[in-house]
Amino acid sequence: MKQVIFAKLGMLLFGWALFTTVWSAAPNDAQFEKANSDYVAGNFKEAISDYNTVVQSGEWSANLFYNLGNAYYRAGDYGHAILNYERALRIEWQHPEAQANLRIARDETHGLELTPSLFERYVSADSIGALTLAAAVLFWLAVALVVLSGRRPLLVSAIVCFVLSGCCAIAVYTLVHGSRGQALAVIVRNNVEARVATADTARTVLALPPGSEVLIVQPRGDWTYAQLPNDQRGWIPTDAVEKIQL
Amino acid sequence: MRPLVLIKIALFLIGALIIADARAESASVTAALTSSETALGQPVQLEVKIKGTTNATPPQTIAVDGLQIALTDTRRSFEMHGFSSVESTLSYGYTIMPMKAGTFKIPPQPIRAGNTTLHTPELTLHVTDGPNRGMARGNQGATPNPFAGEDKLAFAELVVPKKTAYVGETIPVVLRIGFNSRTRVLGREPPNIGGQGFTMQKLGQEDRNLETIGGRSYIVYSYKSAVSAARTGSFQLGPIETKAVILAPRRGSGVRRMPFDPFDGDDPFANPLFSDPFSMLGERREVTVKSETIPLDVKPLPPGAPPTFTGAVGNFSMTADANPKRVQVGDPITVKVEIAGRGNFDRVSAPSLSDESGWHKYPPSANFKQDDDVGISGTKTFEMVVSPNERKPTLPPVTFSYFDPVKEKYVTLQSQALPLVVEGNAPPGPPIVTTTPKASSAASSPGATSQQPPQLLPLVREPGKIVHSFAPLYAQKEFWLAQVFPLVIAIGLMGWRIQRVRKSNWAAIRAAGFQRETDELLRKLRRDVLPPPEYFSDASRVVQLKTALKQNIEPGVVDADTAARVFALDKERSERMRRLFAISDELRYSGKANGSVSSDHRREALELIESLRP
Repeated sequence: MKQVIFAKLGMLLFGWALFTTVWSAAPNDAQFEKANSDYVAGNFKEAISDYNTVVQSGEWSANLFYNLGNAYYRAGDYGHAILNYERALRIEWQHPEAQANLRIARDETHGLELTPSLFERYVSADSIGALTLAAAVLFWLAVALVVLSGRRPLLVSAIVCFVLSGCCAIAVYTLVHGSRGQALAVIVRNNVEARVATADTARTVLALPPGSEVLIVQPRGDWTYAQLPNDQRGWIPTDAVEKIQL
Repeated sequence: MRPLVLIKIALFLIGALIIADARAESASVTAALTSSETALGQPVQLEVKIKGTTNATPPQTIAVDGLQIALTDTRRSFEMHGFSSVESTLSYGYTIMPMKAGTFKIPPQPIRAGNTTLHTPELTLHVTDGPNRGMARGNQGATPNPFAGEDKLAFAELVVPKKTAYVGETIPVVLRIGFNSRTRVLGREPPNIGGQGFTMQKLGQEDRNLETIGGRSYIVYSYKSAVSAARTGSFQLGPIETKAVILAPRRGSGVRRMPFDPFDGDDPFANPLFSDPFSMLGERREVTVKSETIPLDVKPLPPGAPPTFTGAVGNFSMTADANPKRVQVGDPITVKVEIAGRGNFDRVSAPSLSDESGWHKYPPSANFKQDDDVGISGTKTFEMVVSPNERKPTLPPVTFSYFDPVKEKYVTLQSQALPLVVEGNAPPGPPIVTTTPKASSAASSPGATSQQPPQLLPLVREPGKIVHSFAPLYAQKEFWLAQVFPLVIAIGLMGWRIQRVRKSNWAAIRAAGFQRETDELLRKLRRDVLPPPEYFSDASRVVQLKTALKQNIEPGVVDADTAARVFALDKERSERMRRLFAISDELRYSGKANGSVSSDHRREALELIESLRP
């Protein structure tokens, strides 16, 4: 009797999930298709608008951002093109087309890139998810060993697991706050200059071509304080920079 | 203590004076005209500043044929630099009255400063006789139109060096507000300039002078600024207007003017002080001072502007340099270009390379250092990063164009080509990716191929795997919800473990209780003071407890046979055990308070109990 109830409940949940997926995906698929058609027809501005409509719906995919990047590239907006290729790679870091086109767009603008730290050279920011999982698994394993063990060998194993879990957590923190982390943003406008103060007349720290990477330190109204590729900091007009992470 | 402090202060002051004197050794002189152009009959001012000395002897007059130059103002100021040095500046104002048209050179003038003789730089003044190029004043000629004519208390004046200009040209102007020296200015607003069709720089630092105009003394506040016409046409500059609160001599003081006034209304005896001593308190008056407007004819820039012209109007010079001069292909080279001169620096944009092929150019940075109060003259420095895409023998000349309003033609400045050493080969072009796209290529579409660079990979048709968040795994709700599962397991495990511990604790407590009861009963049995029923009852209870402790069973279920088996008693002791339990039962259930139990039985029972080892 019990098994029958569970089976019915499972089917109900499955059906609901299927329904919601189909119901919510259908309009975005149509919009995505329309954007693709606009792109193929050479109507890049319309394609950008359609892709952005899908982006605003909150259902994102690496292909969506990749296509949007292509549309911006064709429209001559290399800053936004690079931004969207980066977003595609943030979702699917091995997206081959996004990697290739990002390289092409960067060659076009000669955008400045942030220098990764020594740690980031060996541990990619794409490992954040895996490291987070590893930290969680090791933590619970350590907890289980502490709970179950009364004997010394198990306690030592638990301590080792705790330490490894902590190392993973520190690695995650370092990557999240590093040069490829959450604060990473891209210059999307032409003729942007980082300045020492929040005024157009203030001294220039660095000229930033579109597609250049910066780390946002603190947004403040019309100006954003950011770490620059030359390891200095400066103020950038807020509307000239966009974070990769939505 | 106090004398020590005073000595220190004295030493400090002496040191400061020594430093000030030392600065006098390195005295310097500058000279500037308020305008390098004027019209016949329109005076201009020459200001000579001598820094680093407290004593100088300037010439009282300067002899230039066609100009009348006379010393009219002397000022001295001190400037403190930190706590250690004081710099003295002497300023001498000369009024230059042009007597004929032409271009005049004011030769270097020797000025004796301390032990040295300084020379002013040579200056050039253009004097025209036409009204268009002459200096215009927002009043009637050289004599300002005083406010409230009768009282002649204040005036406002707008001094513009020319009446025609080109669109975008920056014209220096001077705003002058004068108050009769007999009044006391209690408060005043900075002047506003009216008019449309031009932009105005912010007012420079206020300059205060005592001037004699029309035989009356005025305290004149001057503000330098610059205007720039935004469009062509005829405009009216000004008027300038300001409000002030002054303390003026009382009106109607009863002093009548004589028919013949040798002092022209400035008779010192006509001062109200002589007729009304209390009038020195004065009359507080709020006055609005307003100048006249100045017509300005703005002409369009002539056609035929060079392609590199970006709107700079004035007179400029350019220098350029590049570093480093030995690079690899693709390496950055910083090109530093300095544009100096006089003009609309806000429209001076970065010069361009005359030939940009084979070069990648980054956006330049700019920095302007102004040489005057209003930013008409100065030096604008551009730093432009370029990188060669191929081997290059030189950096192409840098080109900058401007319109010269004096020569009335466009001028293009070009630097020399700078020799460079560019090593290495051209970087490879964008990679041609040979991977097959996931979906059909948009590049194959006829509508798109004409505009698409060949390298860009085409669209991907499938939407792909949908995600709803860019947040890292640890910041996602699902991740923390998933942690509930191991958390529940951990809590369950901990509960199970606690139960287990509690259970083992309960067994230990129970055993301790049994042991305590056994010890208590044995003490009572050894004292041998109990009546027989109680004695044997306790004895059998001790056997039960010892057996329970050994076997971990309930004491109540232990009988003589169980005890004999648990303790592996021999036959004789088993028999004694049975007898012990039998006597105990008999005494308990027969109701005999004092049974016939011999002391031997008691001793035998005690020996048996004590022989039971747990």
